[in-house]
Amino acid sequence: MKRFWIALALLAALLCGTLLHTYSLGGFTRRLTHSLEGAQDLARADRWEEAHTLTEEALQTWSDRDVYLHVLLRHADTDQIYAGFQEVLALLESREYGEYAAANARLVTQIGLLSEAEQLTLKNVL
Amino acid sequence: MVIAFLRTIILYVFIIAGIRLMGKRQVGELEPSELVLALLIADLAAVPMQDFGIPLLTGLIPILTLLCLTMALSVLTMKSVKFRAVLCGRPSIIVENGKLRQGEMKKNRFTLDELMEELRMKGVTDLSTVKYAILETNGQLSVLPFAAQQPPTAQDLNLHLPEPGLPVVLINDGRLIRRNLLGRGFNDQWLEKQLKAHKVDRVQDVFLMTVDETNQVCLIEKEGGR
Repeated sequence: MKRFWIALALLAALLCGTLLHTYSLGGFTRRLTHSLEGAQDLARADRWEEAHTLTEEALQTWSDRDVYLHVLLRHADTDQIYAGFQEVLALLESREYGEYAAANARLVTQIGLLSEAEQLTLKNVL
Repeated sequence: MVIAFLRTIILYVFIIAGIRLMGKRQVGELEPSELVLALLIADLAAVPMQDFGIPLLTGLIPILTLLCLTMALSVLTMKSVKFRAVLCGRPSIIVENGKLRQGEMKKNRFTLDELMEELRMKGVTDLSTVKYAILETNGQLSVLPFAAQQPPTAQDLNLHLPEPGLPVVLINDGRLIRRNLLGRGFNDQWLEKQLKAHKVDRVQDVFLMTVDETNQVCLIEKEGGR
């Protein structure tokens, strides 16, 4: 019976670990999305420097978790988001609001989808 | 990751149910849960191995989940006969007193050709000589002939035969296995004597030499060794 309890404990540990990852990723992507939306508000108010700084900070936050993200998420998704950050930063420098807003919205959506795919919902399980 | 974890559990249970519904003959020599484990683990391991864009954990977490599930299920099947019957099924009697039980054959999707093939493989050609043929949970067919059809044993004939026990290999393809020689309580002098008795000069010329518990020696020389 000891083996049974060990197996159940491992299953419980796996479930807790995966739920913790989902919760942590949800919080992480919410923070990034919040920063990127804040940067867009600043850009709309013509405060491009501050928007650039805020976006760079968001990219730094993303890069700080690079190992964690690469270990747990599909590399194609993380690479796409990294490329999205670079595109948004380039458009912030060119100060083209229309193109920047479109690229930023795309990046926010990609980040949102990253977290959404990991959420424990019936839709995702099925 | 939690999605991968839950999907693994759902798929595992689903495939076990599928294998159980397919009948015992699909199982081969493994129990349904073991077969499912073997099928899934091979595939799960191959995906992250081939695609570097997928994190290794995507393969490791489902594999660990499967191993834990299998371990838990194996303990439950040992503890509960009912649970074992649900997971692995029950043996089915296909032939009883020389008569086919067609209902059982249909239930297990076991065809007449397969039955005859299995009987022939067991050395049985006449169905009427079979007392019981039982389709086991691992897909194997156990054949028990009538007592009158079974070969007589030494006990039936009141013979008292010596028990040879397990023969051990002393020389394997020209190599002496000293551990076995000493384990049987023999030494080099005894070995030399045995070689001389079989007209062999060297250990290197022997292909196989065994000795059983009654000290009966079997020696096969190497072809073209001398």
